[in-house]
Amino acid sequence: MNAPHPISLKGAGVRYNMRLKRKRSVRKSVTKAARLDAQGYFWALRDITLEIQEGETVAVIGANGAGKSTLLLMLAGILEPDEGSVAVYGSISTLLHIGAGFDDELNAEENILLVGAFLGIPASIMKKRVPEILEFADIGDFASAEVRTYSSGMRARLGFSVATAVSPDVLLVDEVLSTGDASFRDKARARILDLMKKARAVVYVTHDLDSAASFCTRAIELEGGKIVADGPAKSVIAAYQAKMERKAKGSS
Amino acid sequence: MATASLRLTVGRPRRGPIGTIAETIKSVVHRRRLLLYLTIAKVRQDGGNSLLGNLWLILDPAIQLAIYYFLVGMVLDRPQPAFALFLFSAILPWRWLSMALGGAANSVRVKDKVMRQIAFPHIVLPIASLSASSVSFLFGLLPLCCLYLIYPERFTPWVFSFPLIGVVQLLWMLPLAILFSALSVFFRDISNILTHALRVTFYLSPALFSYDRILEILEERPPARLLLDLNPMAWILTAYRDIFYEGRSADWGALLGVALASIPFTLVSIYLFRRMAPSFPKVL
Repeated sequence: MNAPHPISLKGAGVRYNMRLKRKRSVRKSVTKAARLDAQGYFWALRDITLEIQEGETVAVIGANGAGKSTLLLMLAGILEPDEGSVAVYGSISTLLHIGAGFDDELNAEENILLVGAFLGIPASIMKKRVPEILEFADIGDFASAEVRTYSSGMRARLGFSVATAVSPDVLLVDEVLSTGDASFRDKARARILDLMKKARAVVYVTHDLDSAASFCTRAIELEGGKIVADGPAKSVIAAYQAKMERKAKGSS
Repeated sequence: MATASLRLTVGRPRRGPIGTIAETIKSVVHRRRLLLYLTIAKVRQDGGNSLLGNLWLILDPAIQLAIYYFLVGMVLDRPQPAFALFLFSAILPWRWLSMALGGAANSVRVKDKVMRQIAFPHIVLPIASLSASSVSFLFGLLPLCCLYLIYPERFTPWVFSFPLIGVVQLLWMLPLAILFSALSVFFRDISNILTHALRVTFYLSPALFSYDRILEILEERPPARLLLDLNPMAWILTAYRDIFYEGRSADWGALLGVALASIPFTLVSIYLFRRMAPSFPKVL
């Protein structure tokens, strides 16, 4: 019997109903991309067929608005596909925007438990992790103060520590390495690399092409909501960089 | 291999109405911790940032009572005996209703950030908001105790049957909270309209006047009478007044009927919420 791949997508697509979307600026910026269909839907992703196997670390690259973040949101189960299908096996951790789910009126420990509950991690596991998370976040005496009194750096550090406290089967990362000061960033980078090693599959959205080429095994290039390149990280990224250079020369 | 034991976490196939409802209820039970933490956070938030903090949970209903006591007492030349208690037995549950629905209407909308970052059953948001408002309701019982010091003759053991009526009220607020929370994602006007709708229903229900007085007024207007009979809040308020003010047993048979009638509404609201939920992170 073949075990299922950690991640598989078949003809998956996500669309936005632009009439419901209130943010005018967004609407303007996407209509420019002319990806609206006849009914006025905007397809952020379309026709994505993809299988990610055990042990793969996949970089997702592409210009702003190509659908990279939407892809991660779909894999995380936050957005449901409007066509096609998505299947992800195993526990998922998302390192998207750090500090999600914090409540200003609660202190660090309560927030750790709150975010754990949002993530669906059993309270018994989360409670055991509290000292370790506080230690890693390095917020010292502020642990018993409400989060609203925190500096943005402390908030980010606590958010990162909570989000990375549990080692997942599938890790979804969206450029979060720029958290906190230099010393914390090194610590954070080490921890992410550690989680990546332990995870069965990693999807990593980034604009940092050099780091992607160094630790990803595979790369996918998105353009206009579709996959335009898929293959070994080094060659896909090299081709993408060459394309960008040509574009830059052409426009100057 | 360990792989075989891994469960499907994203991409469960869509089910029929009954399957959807069952799955949603199961997901809420599974996230009961989240409900608890969200409730604590909400209660603290309501009291936070103010000088008196959570003391407002007690002061708010007391002040509201004082205002109605003097205004209505002056306008109506024949106020009921023990008028403050008469009023408060209606103000207390009514505040619960308006706080529950007002809070629930915003509950999903204000959590837009989390919804775009973590996958969780969104329906816990209106439910947590509802349970936070229930905490405020319980605090409102303290001023009620003070009123019994003023009118000791009104105090009977029936007072202690209030949790039963509370459950019936909760059963009716649940579907409304769930529906309003979802609809206000798409129509922000819902919470504005709700404020006014609640005020109108407040005057339409036997809150400021006794049920008999309203019946007198409505005698020549059968359609309005029907409206009153269909208003579950009218039954619930009357029951509160029976036990808190009249010192007699509530009409438990009628209450049971009101409670049972809420069940289909709750199931439908859960289903509708679940069908709308995938759009929340996209719209917000």
